[in-house]
Amino acid sequence: MYALEVKNLSKYFNDIKAVDDASFTVPEGSVFGLIGRNGAGKTTTIRMMMNIYLPDSGEVILRGTKIGQEFKDKVGYLPEERGLYKKMKVMDCLLFLAELKGKTGKQVERKAAEYLKRFDLAERKNSKLEDLSKGNQQKVQFIASVLHDPEFLIFDEPFSGLDPINTDLLKDIILEKKNERKVIILSTHLMDFAEKLCDHIAMIDHGRIILKGSLSEIKTQFAQRNVVLEAEGDISFLNNSDFVEKVESYGNSFGITVKDTSHAQELLKLLVQNNIKVNKFAANEISLHEIFVTLAGKDNDNV
Amino acid sequence: MFNRRTISIIKRELKVRLFSRTFIIMTLLIPLFMFGILALQTYLIHYSGGENAFLIVAAESQSVLDNVQTELLNTPKDSDGNIEFMFEQLSNEKLDMRLANVRNEILEEKITGLIFIPDQALENKKAEYFSKNPNNNVLLNKLRPSINKVLNDMYFAGKKLSREELDYAKNNVDVTGFRVSADKEIQEEGVGNTVLSFLFTFLLYMSLLFTGQMTMSSVIEEKSSRIVEVLLSSVSSRELMTGKIIGTSITSLAQMAIWLSPLIVLISTTWFALPPEFTLKLSMWHLIFFLLNYFIALITFLGLFATVGSIFDNPQDAQSGIWPIMMLIIIPFFIAIGMQTNPENQIARIASFVPFASLIVMPARITLVDIPLIQLVLSIIINIATMIFVFIIAGKIYRVGILITGKKPKWSEVVKWFKYNY
Repeated sequence: MYALEVKNLSKYFNDIKAVDDASFTVPEGSVFGLIGRNGAGKTTTIRMMMNIYLPDSGEVILRGTKIGQEFKDKVGYLPEERGLYKKMKVMDCLLFLAELKGKTGKQVERKAAEYLKRFDLAERKNSKLEDLSKGNQQKVQFIASVLHDPEFLIFDEPFSGLDPINTDLLKDIILEKKNERKVIILSTHLMDFAEKLCDHIAMIDHGRIILKGSLSEIKTQFAQRNVVLEAEGDISFLNNSDFVEKVESYGNSFGITVKDTSHAQELLKLLVQNNIKVNKFAANEISLHEIFVTLAGKDNDNV
Repeated sequence: MFNRRTISIIKRELKVRLFSRTFIIMTLLIPLFMFGILALQTYLIHYSGGENAFLIVAAESQSVLDNVQTELLNTPKDSDGNIEFMFEQLSNEKLDMRLANVRNEILEEKITGLIFIPDQALENKKAEYFSKNPNNNVLLNKLRPSINKVLNDMYFAGKKLSREELDYAKNNVDVTGFRVSADKEIQEEGVGNTVLSFLFTFLLYMSLLFTGQMTMSSVIEEKSSRIVEVLLSSVSSRELMTGKIIGTSITSLAQMAIWLSPLIVLISTTWFALPPEFTLKLSMWHLIFFLLNYFIALITFLGLFATVGSIFDNPQDAQSGIWPIMMLIIIPFFIAIGMQTNPENQIARIASFVPFASLIVMPARITLVDIPLIQLVLSIIINIATMIFVFIIAGKIYRVGILITGKKPKWSEVVKWFKYNY
């Protein structure tokens, strides 16, 4: 059973096709990553899923029925462009946003206080939002998206602008929600995060879905003949080797494609022979980053 | 349209606007500002500059000169500016020479000017004034009655008319107005209702502009602070717009009711006795009509202001978008003010049934003349239809505009938004 099915969504703005016949499915209890470079169509797709934009064609099915207003009450949304009522007090703003979702009363207030404490904001609950730092405002915004205990969580670029400590806190809460069997959809252009958090993905480029499915299956499919290497020393001699198809550097690590699966052993031997200190050698593995670059980088290297 | 979510938004608007310090301040400030503007206007129109003046009064004949001198020196001095006179007899031929004489002193402003009354004036009432600033009407207005009186008296002195006959000729006709209305006996008309219609018009004009601007900037704020996307993940754009406009309208209506409360006390009790010339021909129905009309006006115009707010993402750009709406308020305002000299003029009659204008002209008209019930109902129907039309159009632009940020959109693009399937 799928929690959400996105079927043939298309959206034009004037003559620009922002989303082109996008279809994908989000399984129950999954963390779903919608990944793609900036301007690929992630936010437009999410806005259509949220019923903020009406699609020009296609539909979004929620557990068998087409989404409408009732979906909005069940969803917590953290938009990419953050914003709150600057003149309102932190607690008032949180309670107002929860009220719009139909949640009122002492229980919500108690829960808001708990979240504020967790994010180290307990003492700021009566401060005006404009008096908070940008990072703290972002934390309040995140609390607003989870406060009404929604079944669906949609986070658009949730980690942008957060420091490492709060990034980890956010990750913890996302995983907590996953354990509570909530459906989590996050869009990001940061492949490392997607790889660590998501179990299903859809990759979008120029408005089209170019890859979708379970992350482990996708990786298996792309990992053949691929070696992830972390090593010290000059490995440029690999370019002249008979069995290496290509070498790509990702800063700390290299992605090496060999001509045949059996060549991985020979590659390791060659590295040792050349006095390279191998820190990590993972055959038949590929990072999401590499897959993304391979697929989306073909016509444009600006990732 | 009215559901839990809309009500939550209305509640927030009321919390932010009605139960705030700003509300109390504005409720006090707007009338102060209004009367301040009126007082300033009156002061500026009557401001003379308060300077002292030194005038040479010259006449061809000694008798004219003597009479003018007596008259001018007997005129009570007023507070602003002291005028000193120098009287001299001067023949027409010597005028040029005398002017050449004092030319430098006039240029240096040691002498304010020279007024010359030739003998001819006794026939054609034409005098001449030579000054660096010959358009100083304040000064001339002080002199004109005295000179006029002298010329009149001297002219009629030879005509063998009695003082009474003269006074009669000088008096203007005084017309007392009586209002003929359907249900009451004929009553003498005071200036009370004219003052009231002026007050209604001014209040309507000021508060529509104030509230409109306020609504517009609050929409711009939601748009530019990007909270709108969070809100739209919970409510539809129509619910958001409706909640905002109704919330602001209720606040503004409450404010208007506070301003009108002295009137309600005045007409429903006998605690205050007004002098007869200020008596108000006003019933509770007038006030109810006024408030109902104001509520419709608020929703209509706030819909327009909110739409403009949604198109632009900063107040500077929005200024270019509000002038058409300002015109919809300012032109009827002038019609309503102009109407006070004749409430039944053709433009006012028509304007009180024209969409938008009706909202401002009709309240002023009903305070000045009796309007048949059928016409009132018609104007309300027209206004409600306009309101619904505005709401539909506004909603279509609002839902697109509110999510578009970046460069200032062209009007042609805004027109395209109608076709968008948002």
